[in-house]
Amino acid sequence: MIDTRGLSLAQAPPFHVPARFFLTAPFFALLAGILLLWEGPASLASRWLPLALAATHLITIGYLGLLMCGALLQLLPVVLGAPVPAVRWVGNLTHPLLGLGALLLAGGLGFGLPWSLASGAMASAMGFLVFLFPVALALWRAQGEPGTRRALRAAVLALLATLLLGLLLSAFLLGLIPLDDFTHWANAHLLWGLLGWVGLLVIGVAIQVIPLFYVTPPYPARVRAWLGPTLLVLILLASLAEVRGWGLTATLAQGLATGAFVFFALLSLRLLAQRGRRRLDPTLLHWLVALLAVIAAALAWALQAPSALIGILLLVGLGVGLPAGMLFKILPFLAWFHLQHRQIATGRFDLRIPHMGSLLPLGWARLQFGLHLLALLLAVATIFLPVLARPAGLALVLAALVLEGLLVRVVLAYWRASRALTLPL
Amino acid sequence: MNETISTFMTEDHRHCDRLLAVFEHAVERGDWEQAGGSGQELKTALLNHFAREEDRLFPQLLAVEARAGGPVNVMTMEHRQMRVLLNDLEQAIGARDRDACLGLVETLHFLNQQHNAKEEGILYPLADQGLAAQMGGILQQLRAG
Repeated sequence: MIDTRGLSLAQAPPFHVPARFFLTAPFFALLAGILLLWEGPASLASRWLPLALAATHLITIGYLGLLMCGALLQLLPVVLGAPVPAVRWVGNLTHPLLGLGALLLAGGLGFGLPWSLASGAMASAMGFLVFLFPVALALWRAQGEPGTRRALRAAVLALLATLLLGLLLSAFLLGLIPLDDFTHWANAHLLWGLLGWVGLLVIGVAIQVIPLFYVTPPYPARVRAWLGPTLLVLILLASLAEVRGWGLTATLAQGLATGAFVFFALLSLRLLAQRGRRRLDPTLLHWLVALLAVIAAALAWALQAPSALIGILLLVGLGVGLPAGMLFKILPFLAWFHLQHRQIATGRFDLRIPHMGSLLPLGWARLQFGLHLLALLLAVATIFLPVLARPAGLALVLAALVLEGLLVRVVLAYWRASRALTLPL
Repeated sequence: MNETISTFMTEDHRHCDRLLAVFEHAVERGDWEQAGGSGQELKTALLNHFAREEDRLFPQLLAVEARAGGPVNVMTMEHRQMRVLLNDLEQAIGARDRDACLGLVETLHFLNQQHNAKEEGILYPLADQGLAAQMGGILQQLRAG
């Protein structure tokens, strides 16, 4: 039976729900850049260094967590006809909990403060849990592209696994429970977080969005249907093997998962090469760099390069860049969309609603992309030339500031237009 | 595979997407001669598509499927929004305003894509199901204009 609930006007959450997530997120990329700028050459020597762990969690929970959760609350009703129940409440709770959790967790990991680690882990876990259950319910009812549905369901499961493993690791660090081999559990946490939650979400979104945005041929039906579930099984196998210490199985499963991501990245690049809309907009530039970063990270893994290099490629190249590129389209469209509805409600058809290009000027978006690319290249070079850590941090800070400026500009233009529409004629 | 309302109308969506891409490329190159022609082609194709739905498909669907009422209203309202954007676009082409053309076409494309996703995901399958008995006749009407 076909469910038409997803098509009511009330489907979209109010503008301020996703906007709040989007406006807060860049501050966490900014803080990660400041850490790099402050600590300098020593900061990226190993992924286990306290400040590297702090920067990682600022990016994964503060920046990515907020952006992905905010975007999903908006995306699920529109793309899959699945409104998230109690969306205002979910937004009101998840947003501050994740923000606070990221700060406290980074403080705890970076400066060795047990109270900060404990409260940060709890706040982050609660923020994600408050989000997970209503979203799982919405995904259960979802319709539309089955491949996207499957990949997003798998991503949500991966988020739950990442979160539980993160709580376990925090409990160990706080001396609450013993763990035989911390490194293996940490690797499992990382596999679920990066390949599972982030990787599967990117696949689910790409399958839907790349053909729509750029008028490309669709992803092949078999890829759409099976890539997400296959990766979920491989990640499960790899993390089990990692924790159990089955070295060969872990390497094999990770290798297969890595291969699947490379295949996906190459396929996406090929589809984009066949795109109908030839325009090289800043969102597309971010997609291209993110896909190339995935391929480079896989090569680095295969060549047994330092894990910090793989981390930089995935966290900065894919994690920081791609969501910024998506925001260049999502936020101005949402502003335009809500202004349209306000115009219909108030009948002020004498006023002209600003279009997406005037809400978010693409020249500045291109500058943001350029700064981001510079930050990525400098951060990668830091692995070989540690002295570049501070310039990399500076570029990261500047890219985050320009991103924030662009988003604030959209929201201010929205407010101005919205007020004008409400004024009587 | 047999042609259905879904396959026919989805292909019409893709046709409009291709016209939009051609138009955008012409504006980007600054080829206003071509942009004028392909902009007109895009407008005609989209307006024809909306008319197919509003004059033929939606009334017949509403006659057999009460649940389609809400979605049809939303779709019709989004058609109105796209008609406004098409008129603004025509003015921007006339003024040879490159930035306005590109910003408007981006807005039109984004609105149209999320509109199409809802039609292809929910409304057309509903029509295939509810109008299965009249499929041949309806397809003939849709093809006619």
